[in-house]
Amino acid sequence: MDRRDFVKGAAALTATAAAGIGQAQQAGAPVAKRSILTATAQFDPARPEIARVVAQSCKSLGWEVEANPIDYNQGITKVINEHDFEMFLVFLPGTAIRIDPDFFIRSIHHSTEHKRGGFNWAGYKNDRVDALATVQSRLMKIDDRRKPVLEAQETIFQDQPGTVLAYTQMTMAHRSDKLKGLVPQLGEGIGGFWSDVNMEVAGDGFSRTGSNADVKHLNPVAVNDSMEFMELSMIYDRLFRLGPDGKPVPWAASGMKLVDDKTIDLTIRSGMRWHDGKPVTAEDVKFTFDYHKKWKAPFFLAALNNVVAVELPSPNTVRIRLENPSAPFVSNVMATMFLLPKHIWEGIPEKVGIDDPLKFPNDKPVGSGPFKFDYWRRGSELKVTAFREHFNPPKCAGIIRITYGSHDALAAAIEKGECDRSRYILSPALVDRIKNVKNVVAKGYPSHGLYHLAYNNKIKPFDDPAFRQALNHVMPRKMISELILLGYADPGASIISPISTFWHNPAVKVPAEDVKKARDILAKAGYGWDAQGKLLSPRGK
Amino acid sequence: MTAYILRRLLSALLTLLGVAVILFVLFRMMPGDPTAQIISPALDAAAQDRLKQAFGLDLPVWQQFIIYLKNTATLEWGRSFTTGQPVASLLGGWLVNTLLLMSTGLVLAISLGVVLGIFMAARRGGPLDNGATVLGLVFQASPPFVIGILLLMGLSYQFEIFPSGGMFTPGADPGNTWALITSKDFLEHLVLPTLTITALYLSTPMLVMRDSMLEVLGSDFVEFARAKGLSPVRVLFRHAARNALLAVVTVSSLILGFAIGGQIVIETVFSWPGMGKAMVDAAMQHDYPVAQAAFFLMAAVVIGLNFITDLSYSLLDPRIRLGTT
Repeated sequence: MDRRDFVKGAAALTATAAAGIGQAQQAGAPVAKRSILTATAQFDPARPEIARVVAQSCKSLGWEVEANPIDYNQGITKVINEHDFEMFLVFLPGTAIRIDPDFFIRSIHHSTEHKRGGFNWAGYKNDRVDALATVQSRLMKIDDRRKPVLEAQETIFQDQPGTVLAYTQMTMAHRSDKLKGLVPQLGEGIGGFWSDVNMEVAGDGFSRTGSNADVKHLNPVAVNDSMEFMELSMIYDRLFRLGPDGKPVPWAASGMKLVDDKTIDLTIRSGMRWHDGKPVTAEDVKFTFDYHKKWKAPFFLAALNNVVAVELPSPNTVRIRLENPSAPFVSNVMATMFLLPKHIWEGIPEKVGIDDPLKFPNDKPVGSGPFKFDYWRRGSELKVTAFREHFNPPKCAGIIRITYGSHDALAAAIEKGECDRSRYILSPALVDRIKNVKNVVAKGYPSHGLYHLAYNNKIKPFDDPAFRQALNHVMPRKMISELILLGYADPGASIISPISTFWHNPAVKVPAEDVKKARDILAKAGYGWDAQGKLLSPRGK
Repeated sequence: MTAYILRRLLSALLTLLGVAVILFVLFRMMPGDPTAQIISPALDAAAQDRLKQAFGLDLPVWQQFIIYLKNTATLEWGRSFTTGQPVASLLGGWLVNTLLLMSTGLVLAISLGVVLGIFMAARRGGPLDNGATVLGLVFQASPPFVIGILLLMGLSYQFEIFPSGGMFTPGADPGNTWALITSKDFLEHLVLPTLTITALYLSTPMLVMRDSMLEVLGSDFVEFARAKGLSPVRVLFRHAARNALLAVVTVSSLILGFAIGGQIVIETVFSWPGMGKAMVDAAMQHDYPVAQAAFFLMAAVVIGLNFITDLSYSLLDPRIRLGTT
């Protein structure tokens, strides 16, 4: 949308504002001013901007809204732990484990997830959605899950507990003169595992992969968000890997059989070895589950509560017994948790003189992954080399993962050829700037991440579904995608991005920006406007 | 002399204790709960509690304070919230990197400043005096990142003489530390940030030296030395400069204090894995143990340098030593 359209739109609003006055006599008090909580520009330049244009659009309804960008930590504490907010604008990154629809359908919308640390901070409750969310999470056959997921999406869209504003792409850059054969992965772009193992690197064979964030630690038990997986996933293997499209691919488990809905038999791939030469056994897999459960590994704590027992019915078979059937178990646990060598972790933490494995530095990690740990100079670089004995050995000689001081420094290093790939998102403005540099490929890669505006459904006026539906029609989605996110995004609607072709419900369509329609919805629900065009609540509400 | 040293030492230690207490209070007054940063929102309540307990955040504040004081006194500082590493070992590495960069830059800035100051005073009002004054003020007035980025644009991106950042070329063999920091690769990486620091901090010692020289050059004993028939160079360096140096020693400790603050920006611009960058990261991530220890260490460096300055005064000027009794 260009500036002229915007002005035209604004003119149209004034006209409709006049039309609404008629209802004023039936309406009550003015709708209270509300604010949009979000992160500061320092944290994400886009968020305060988006909050501002959304606030501006809300004004077209005669309703005062202001943007309130605050420190990110402070914000999420208020929202997630205290539910103390009015509207919350957040970016939900499309990490690989969120390709499974369980996160977007159940975690964000099930009423039991409205709790401290839960993602249903909006306080949304719809019995039908609760039922559908539970059903999809317990159906072990992927095709059976599709129907409830599609229906839930549509119901959620009707109810608008929050509004999906934009589906973003992952803006990343690499050198085409150095790297060949990158495999973009949903949610990880060209910085993910499939590029790590499949890329061919010119020169000495080592990819210089850069990030603006330092590697935090190399302790697979202590991970607490999926960003920490990126380096570990080169060194450590998992039972499954999420493929480039997000579907689990058998990995350390060469086969899986559902004995019944609550019993999974895994065949452990033969011939695998740890980097120190010892064989990877079913014992190690059982140990990994028991260890994570015993020490309450934070990231897996909730999911592992559902594991009743891990047994070894035969030398290369692992049987996992679940308390309840769990569809996302494969992607959220088996394709996420890293396998630990029993002979190394057995005595930890006692043998290293600490009381908790979360505090174990694991400075020299030994895994069974396609890359062996070489060295780590904290704050500057981590080097891993190809583990040739792996069943899926990398095509490159290794990866040197470099930490840069800022996005700008990283972009400059790619421009100069000192760095050949960005590990994660490089800011859209920089990608835009270096996209025409010779031998640099800088562009957006598909992701299911999205900008989401949650409403606190427990407070006025957001407790009224009609009000939320009206908001859905005034959101400046085009402006957000094209002007603020520089075209590396598309207007959003359903909580599941169309990128996830299998799970997305195509019946959910992006609504056009239509202030008149929004006003009609409000008028029909009993709202009115005073002489100054100020929005009034329905009488008695 | 001993009494003087002891008195200075005691006041330095008291200041450090004050810093320690302020840091503890300040970090807890920062907006936002540390658990929100170190504990991902993807975790449910039980997992959040699990992490709080692992890092002692479930304890009452007064208990945390006692543990903190104990850790500070023993220089242990506990473990980083974000990395799980012992803080002491983390900081050790960063401090070395920072000192390598900062000491090179400041030694260069101060020695160059002193020498330039002497010549500027000797030829007061001449082209060197005027030119260096203007240039020095321009450098001092510009924000640190501007000089750094201009140097990067010119000497790294445009002419590709120097690397764009970091301490080493990625993948350089990480032999022992000594071999690394004497390598050509390291020295090449050191040039641009060092030049930035030199340019930034040159003007103060230079101008102070110049002014102090002018004052000394006008005094009677210099007149007398000239009258004795000593060579002008000898008068300038042996007699005048030595006396003028005292003022530079004073400001040097102040410069160090500023330099530590400026270090944060320079390390970010040049991706230098040092203390400044680590401090910012730790503060942003609410990694209390690391942030507190880093700030404390920085304060200790400043206080320690002040202490050394005080002592060196008494060596350069015996009057100060006598005046304390």
